[in-house]
Amino acid sequence: MSELIRLWQLFQPYRGWMLGGFAVALITLLANVALMAISGWFITAMAVAGAAGVAMNYFAPAALIRASAIGRTAGRYFERLITHEATLRQLAGLRVWFYRHLEPLAPARLMEYHSADLLTRIRADIDALDNLYVRVLVPVLVALTAGVAFFLFTAIFDLGLAQLLLVMLLIAGVALPWAGHRLGKRPGRRIVEIQAELRQAGIDGTQGLSELLIYGAADSHARHLDALSRALVAEQERMSQLTGIAQAATGLTANLTLWGMLWLGIPLVHDGSLAPPQLAMLALFSLATFEAVAPLPMAFQQLESTLTAARRLFAIVDTEPAVPEPTGPAQQPKDSGLVIEGLRFAYPSKSSLKDHSGTGSSADAGIHADSARERPTLDGIDLELPPGRRVAIVGATGSGKTTLFNLLLRFWAPESGSIRLGGIPIEQFPGEDLRSRIALVSQHTHLFDTSIRENLLIAAPDASQGLLEQACATAQIHDFIAELPEGYDTWVGETGVRLSGGQARRIAIARALLRDAPILLLDEPTEGLDAVTERALMDAVQRLMEGRTVLLITHRPVALAQMDEILVLDQGRVVERGTHGELLKAPIYPRLLGLDLDLDA
Amino acid sequence: MTAPRTLLDDQKPLASRWLRLSVGLGLGNGVLLILQAWLLARIINAVVFDDVGLAKVAPWLWPLLVLFAVRAGIAWASEQSAFRAAAQVKISLRDRLYRHIQAAGPAWMAGQRSGAIAEDLTRGIEAVEAYYSRYLPAMSLTALIPLAILIVVLPLDWLSALIMLVTAPLIPVFMILIGSGVERLNQQLWKELARMGAHFLDVIQGMTTLKLFNASRREAEVIARISDDYRASTMRVLRVAFLTSAVLELFSTLGIAIIAVFIGFRLYQLDLPIPDLIAPPEISFVTGFFILLLAPEFYAPLRNLGTHYHGRMEAIAAAERLVAVMDTELPAPPQQRARLSADSPLHIRFEDVSFSYEPGRPALAGAELEIKPGERVALVGPSGAGKTTVANLLLGFIRPEAGRISIDGEDLNALAIDDWRRRLAWLPQQPRLFQGTIADNIRLGLADASLAEVRQAAERAQAAEFIDRLPRGYETTVGERGAGLSGGQIQRVALARAFLRDARLVILDEATASLDPASEALVQRALDQLAEGRSMLVIAHRLSTVRNADRILVIDGGRIVESGSHAELIERDGPYRQMVRLLEPTAV
Repeated sequence: MSELIRLWQLFQPYRGWMLGGFAVALITLLANVALMAISGWFITAMAVAGAAGVAMNYFAPAALIRASAIGRTAGRYFERLITHEATLRQLAGLRVWFYRHLEPLAPARLMEYHSADLLTRIRADIDALDNLYVRVLVPVLVALTAGVAFFLFTAIFDLGLAQLLLVMLLIAGVALPWAGHRLGKRPGRRIVEIQAELRQAGIDGTQGLSELLIYGAADSHARHLDALSRALVAEQERMSQLTGIAQAATGLTANLTLWGMLWLGIPLVHDGSLAPPQLAMLALFSLATFEAVAPLPMAFQQLESTLTAARRLFAIVDTEPAVPEPTGPAQQPKDSGLVIEGLRFAYPSKSSLKDHSGTGSSADAGIHADSARERPTLDGIDLELPPGRRVAIVGATGSGKTTLFNLLLRFWAPESGSIRLGGIPIEQFPGEDLRSRIALVSQHTHLFDTSIRENLLIAAPDASQGLLEQACATAQIHDFIAELPEGYDTWVGETGVRLSGGQARRIAIARALLRDAPILLLDEPTEGLDAVTERALMDAVQRLMEGRTVLLITHRPVALAQMDEILVLDQGRVVERGTHGELLKAPIYPRLLGLDLDLDA
Repeated sequence: MTAPRTLLDDQKPLASRWLRLSVGLGLGNGVLLILQAWLLARIINAVVFDDVGLAKVAPWLWPLLVLFAVRAGIAWASEQSAFRAAAQVKISLRDRLYRHIQAAGPAWMAGQRSGAIAEDLTRGIEAVEAYYSRYLPAMSLTALIPLAILIVVLPLDWLSALIMLVTAPLIPVFMILIGSGVERLNQQLWKELARMGAHFLDVIQGMTTLKLFNASRREAEVIARISDDYRASTMRVLRVAFLTSAVLELFSTLGIAIIAVFIGFRLYQLDLPIPDLIAPPEISFVTGFFILLLAPEFYAPLRNLGTHYHGRMEAIAAAERLVAVMDTELPAPPQQRARLSADSPLHIRFEDVSFSYEPGRPALAGAELEIKPGERVALVGPSGAGKTTVANLLLGFIRPEAGRISIDGEDLNALAIDDWRRRLAWLPQQPRLFQGTIADNIRLGLADASLAEVRQAAERAQAAEFIDRLPRGYETTVGERGAGLSGGQIQRVALARAFLRDARLVILDEATASLDPASEALVQRALDQLAEGRSMLVIAHRLSTVRNADRILVIDGGRIVESGSHAELIERDGPYRQMVRLLEPTAV
């Protein structure tokens, strides 16, 4: 239930809309009940008066019937309009709220989440919350208010009838929803879980289609998807059975109330304490009142899906970022030199992380910074990088090169040791401030599903076309882009597959150029490119490096020969350091570059 | 293009049994409802005009109770059968959609947004539910129940029946008038929804990049804008939809009110505001009250049609997306599904093969190449030269537009593709790991491989060491990007897949590009082992990978421009030598 309170707090900014929705919904309901009750009374009274030949004022009730007919029609229209507008506003707000909490977690804390799982959260889980307002909150408030009004109105005529109505309304409005909530809990939770799994299987099965087809696993994946689909339908069927029972039971309760009204009311008419038209009125009135409680059983039956979705959102929102933002005043570094001392770091051990396969049951398993760690990835690194100096790092996979970059970018916090930028520990900079001084070109560059221009503007939102072209010319991609029919407006990214790996890399280099940061981190920038392009690109990289403090991960002898210093990393330690010429005689360095293999060429 | 309606209607046979039951039950419920109204009218009439006590009306009251119970049972059963009608369709449609995507293949998929496709597979399919479980049964009942009520009312009071008959058809007419506009808006909305899903997936997958450029906060504004645009478009649709409902509601309310007023006036002996020519029929209270009780039930199915019509529109909008996928032309199945013999040596020949992804930009233009049985061929060339296209053709993802690929003399097009692929192993630059354990991922091509076999494959792929170091070893759960594994580790897990399969032709598409030389040397040793007695096509830039090849093909502009061993090509002063000189000046 604590989720409900948190959700309520999130809905606070939309209080005005919610109150408006509630008021209009109440008016609509009352108008509808009035219409039924007055019609019943009117016809009976007219018949009685007609039979007895006495005069009656039929203008007032006829006017009331007209008013409630219009009230009901207009009310329902505005009720729908206001509640939906309110809900959609809330959902839009919640999506931004969720994104703002998600963003600080990237990339360290999101490593464990499948992107389909996160997609489900920001799309389907947030959508699921609309249930709470339109189907739970407003109807409950309306039912509560109207229920009291209905009871008081009936009590004017007879207390016994009023009590009967109250009891029956409580059965349909409290007991049935409570039962629905209890019974709907399990299928509701399962539906959310299976939907997330299904989305995951869908993304796996489309993005990984090549592997599935070649390894003959396409059919088994299709069957896996079908099994999930069937499991989903099975849980939905369980839910639908409950819905059926709830609907039948609500209808039955309403009918039984009518029956009870007659059973208790007929003797009252017989002994004269209730006028005959009043009995007709109360009979139709009691039937109509159940419109107030009819939506409740189903709403509460689905409440669990809503709460599961909410829990999955809160699990992300409550995760602490890997590195806290500093609270002190902004710092100004004296230059762009880096000093690293005694740096140690180990990733949290995988066994300490629960399975985040996107299921609701694991939703509360946040990742904790104090969980057990694996053996250190970096084990006491010292490095001095005065402004303008160029240092290269070589080492086998898993020797800690990329980790060092992650620490420099403050995606993770070191276990011990320090990194200082211009004399100030990097923990004292806000993350954005720090990263604005660093440009990174890595082998994994995400191109967004938008135009080339937009992809470049990520680095410098205000850059002019001339600046873009200049950067692209330096990165040797301008000619290619200019030849495309749509030029800089060509769509790239997931659907823009016409870009090769090398072309994508060149766009990444152009981005770094646009960034114009004093510190440059290069993570194998020319990896996977063909020889001609690579050679040409190295010139661009050289130009990019000019006047900047550079840290380069590479295995290219050509590039290494031009560095001021080279560090050889092994198992998180610096095992050799020196210039390219010096290290060629060292034991490990030539082997890492594959130079010992090529001598026979 | 197939109309979305057609797709929905084609699925009807799957639902028809449950649909008929649902409609039957709904109609039964309607008939009982008429009976119930009649009993009620009798009871009220007796109490109001005959001043009878409870004992007198008890014989009416008890059957009423039975009726209530039966109607509750029918309501439940009707809901069940409506659900089942849609359930069968959903299961079948989802399976067919995904299998169609598979058949269309990676080349088609490359032009799609996987986020939008995932949306189609999940919410898209769910959206058709309302069509079968709500709209179709409602349509039948809309025709049947008002008709049943009309048949009962007509002999009792032709004036009320006339009012019903005149007002009722106006409802669907108005609905269709307004509805057609909404339909267009709604289809647009669905596209917007799919775009929004794709955008969010893109942002999630690229969040680190956004963060590097401090653009992730700016992205929050974009998300706010997209969500708000979506709200605005949704409301545009809803405003019209709600207006439709309001009009329907107004008509039915007016209908009820006119019927009630006309009955009331006649009971009170007032003149009706109708021409004198028509003599209004006399009416008794019991008949009047009975008709008043039936009037809302007469309009209810028509009124609900508005709600269900909205469900139909959502289903049609979703179906349009599904049709867009399911209408993609599948590569025609081979005329004869020839199979190679089990020990076929796999002599591969490209004869004048051309292919282009887009008209006017050929990726391959008359490529000629040959891979002899057991030969190790390397394919090198600048990016965009057509290397990956060669791989895609061999893997059967695309087919030559001109020319022919033959395997031991058989046209590749004529071979049963599964049988052909079983002989292949493929390792791309960024292999995909699937949700599941590492063991599951290695078993991808051989689901029933034992753990011992999996271990052996991992060992040969130089992956066993790091897997054993993981706390949960082979049972470690990994996801799409390997979740916690480094690029080199993912690569070696994927390599283990290739080892587990006893493939005859191994295709490496820049497979070792992301490995450092030390790991690459390890993998290379493993690959040498794998290559024994097998053919191998290596697409690579690294000299160390290429050098040991039996033959190196240099590709440029979609054609093979040079071919020979490393030593031969180095001697010749051609494109290869030029490439090597640029890359490793010391090696020449």
